[in-house]
Amino acid sequence: MLSKADLEEVLQVALRGGDFAEIFIEDKKSTKIGCEDRKIERVITGHEQGAGIRVIRGENTAYGYTNALNKQELLKLAERVAKAARENPVATIALERRESPVKLPVKRRPDEEGIEEKAKLVKAAEEAARSVDEKLVRQVTVGYGDVTQRVTIANTDGVYVEDERIRSRLSVNAVAAEGQVIQTGYESAGGTQGLELFDEEKPVDLGRRAARRALLMLNARRAPAGRMPVVLAGEAGGTMIHEACGHGLEADLVQKGLSVYANRQGEQVASELVTVVDDGTLQGKFGTLRFDDEGSPAQRTVLIEGGILRGYMHDRITASRDGAGLTGNGRRESFQHRPIPRMTNTYLAPGDASPDEIIRETRAGLLVRRMGGGQVNTTNGDFVFEVTEGYLIQDGEATVPVRGATLTGNGPEVLKQIDMIGRDFGFSIGICGKDGQGVAVSDAQPTIRIPELIVGGILEEEGDYQ
Amino acid sequence: MIEVEKLNERDLVAAAVEDAKRYGADLADAFFAQNHELVIEVRNEEVENLKVARESGIGIRLIKEGRLGFAYTSDLRRDSIRETVRAALANARIGSPDLNNVLPAPPEVYPEMELEDHRLQEIPLEEKIRLAQEIEKSGRGYDNRVRITEQAGYQEAHYQVTIANSLGILASYRGSLCGGYASLVAGDDGDQQTGFGLYFTRKFDELDPEAVGREAAYKAVRMLGARRLETRRTAVVFDPYVVTNFLGLIASALSADAVQKGRSLFAGKVGQKVAAEGVTVIDDGTIPKGLMSSPFDGEGVPSQRTSLIMKGRLQGFLHNSYTGARDGVSSTGNAARSSYKSPPEVGTTNFYLAPGEKDPQDIIKNTESGLYLTEVMGMHTANPVSGDFSVGAAGIWIERGELTTPVRGMVIAGNILELLENIDLIGNDLRFFIGTGAPTIRVAGLTVSGQ
Repeated sequence: MLSKADLEEVLQVALRGGDFAEIFIEDKKSTKIGCEDRKIERVITGHEQGAGIRVIRGENTAYGYTNALNKQELLKLAERVAKAARENPVATIALERRESPVKLPVKRRPDEEGIEEKAKLVKAAEEAARSVDEKLVRQVTVGYGDVTQRVTIANTDGVYVEDERIRSRLSVNAVAAEGQVIQTGYESAGGTQGLELFDEEKPVDLGRRAARRALLMLNARRAPAGRMPVVLAGEAGGTMIHEACGHGLEADLVQKGLSVYANRQGEQVASELVTVVDDGTLQGKFGTLRFDDEGSPAQRTVLIEGGILRGYMHDRITASRDGAGLTGNGRRESFQHRPIPRMTNTYLAPGDASPDEIIRETRAGLLVRRMGGGQVNTTNGDFVFEVTEGYLIQDGEATVPVRGATLTGNGPEVLKQIDMIGRDFGFSIGICGKDGQGVAVSDAQPTIRIPELIVGGILEEEGDYQ
Repeated sequence: MIEVEKLNERDLVAAAVEDAKRYGADLADAFFAQNHELVIEVRNEEVENLKVARESGIGIRLIKEGRLGFAYTSDLRRDSIRETVRAALANARIGSPDLNNVLPAPPEVYPEMELEDHRLQEIPLEEKIRLAQEIEKSGRGYDNRVRITEQAGYQEAHYQVTIANSLGILASYRGSLCGGYASLVAGDDGDQQTGFGLYFTRKFDELDPEAVGREAAYKAVRMLGARRLETRRTAVVFDPYVVTNFLGLIASALSADAVQKGRSLFAGKVGQKVAAEGVTVIDDGTIPKGLMSSPFDGEGVPSQRTSLIMKGRLQGFLHNSYTGARDGVSSTGNAARSSYKSPPEVGTTNFYLAPGEKDPQDIIKNTESGLYLTEVMGMHTANPVSGDFSVGAAGIWIERGELTTPVRGMVIAGNILELLENIDLIGNDLRFFIGTGAPTIRVAGLTVSGQ
């Protein structure tokens, strides 16, 4: 094992190459169980170790990583990473252990539970999905995963953090078919919790919901095409807010001029109904952290308040460049990657309208009851997100279900348009990708109305345009 | 028994397989992979990020009474490997028994391949940094509206794979690749648009940094002033990169695993027409310059060329040993492992839509009006089971055979089977983006949603 004194020595060597050096040591145990075709097919356990060393000099970063976790190898790596730069005078480093205000108690540690217990959760979800309709539900795929990640983070500012992150998740994908029509339904749950997560998010419920959505979509019409009012239900999850403004408020993109929200702090960038928050401290959520991957404590950061842009999400580099405070958003996928500004749990705060009233006050449009994935081009603000359960709104009522379609809009334009915000609230989870790194996040929003979005459906007739 | 702390890769995988047999596995394989990586990212002519990395690990798969278990570790000491074997055995206990869980026997011969640029590691870092800087410089100098470097860089990787199984396979190969990429932003009148360029190869000498930078710049500049058009049904010309995005959807449906599990839209259609006459889709793990070429797949089965769709007719599917056994056919050498951390699934190697005869310029010239589609967004939301897609779209509007105004913020939607049937022109400009290749194509009618 590597002592604090060992790490001080490694950091000292690394610091010869720059103004700041950091080491991130990771030990990760994970389990995955996959079930398909009524069979438990993939049972995988893994153990991975490694360390990443980062040296920053001015605006330049050198990064190196290795699997070999002994002092000699780390000293060699520190030397290699530092080599790119000039010789600095030797400084002394005194590491001091930090604590986080965030407590994340775990009741049933995944690394202490038997694999049979986990397989039971998978089977429960699979059987529940099948039993919704033995005939029409043709295939059910269930994936279980847990990760127990131990990290040690130390840097030349004296930060020393030892942390453990535990995450569990379960996902169900159901395929239903009738005649030529084949449709799917997906549900997932995940959190910074152990197996107790599934006392609340019952595998049986996930399985049933996935199967019911696949069946519902069998009878759905094709989604309409073109511009229309859209109501996003609270239960739909938070993908829209993640794409429409979350990424654009990450400070690295802002500072490089790659965000439509650059240089707009203090300005009205959204309707005054809109407040957007990133909060890494929410108990048990998928994006929750005690510390980010640079050893800064997680926190709640108000990004937009009453429509006014208040601040951005920072890592150490962007915060020092802006002279801003750390926000606990410096995250990385693993020791193989350098940290960059990332979201944690991001949400559009609830308002006071009744969700039913929002639908009632919409003459015609689309109601989105579940969102899937999305993507954004932060440079021009255009974003897309997927609708996995949608209904036409006719005369203030949700009527026929429509098949999946992508909705598109422009972030700043859409945020200004939002004209009704409900008092309900719903979360969705995901692995968010940026610069080739995936990190666990959650997103949430209440029921909202957007007067105009482009719905990417199908026109049935040739020449039916203009 | 003599304890050896540092074994070479061949001894290491052989020892892991021996351990598995000794602990009671009926069949076992061990897969070792090692990677060295170098990444240089430049911005405003300075090296902004430099990454050097080395990584290795072993994955152990075993079968006991028809049940499959898998475990991996990055800790290559003998006791850690034994512990990993025991974990894989414990995992096998809860796996469902399936007699199709089999391993391949050693082949007579593996294809000979040269996958490595031996000179690459000797080229000094400074030369590689210079190459990354040239990419940025040529892009930024292309047009004075190119204002921001989102990314410009050089990347190289050296890898080594060694595999052993309890039926006698023991084989390994080494390879390297290198390449440059750029993502640049052009700005004009408050409007900002991005464009990217990329080129990867096995030989350093084949890299042309200026071409990469110019491509990114040209693509960014031509999107300036893009706007949203009205909703319509129209012809769409797909550029090769966009076609490769759609090929990903087709690839998953052409896996025998998807077919056997009832989630492929090609199930039951072998011998039938599933695409327009000119459409031929091939997977070929033996292409000499292919970046996904290798002598054998993730189970040690020799790589091969497999025709999947020939002149519009479905020929068959991609197999690994499991799906082959289940269908009573041979593996096509398509057991894919994304790293030592995953057991072999069914996956593609060099997967491409074969080129046709049309000059891509003529495809545009022959299009009275339509969308030249150059970017899609949210491709991961397309449904590989139903084939339905609805994705963000940007490109350039074609009017009377000429590229006119750039468009963005729109959505195109349809079904992949309908799309395949409606391909009416195929270009001769096959281009690979790492492991997937395609030419320009035209699709007769698709809904493009906008105003």
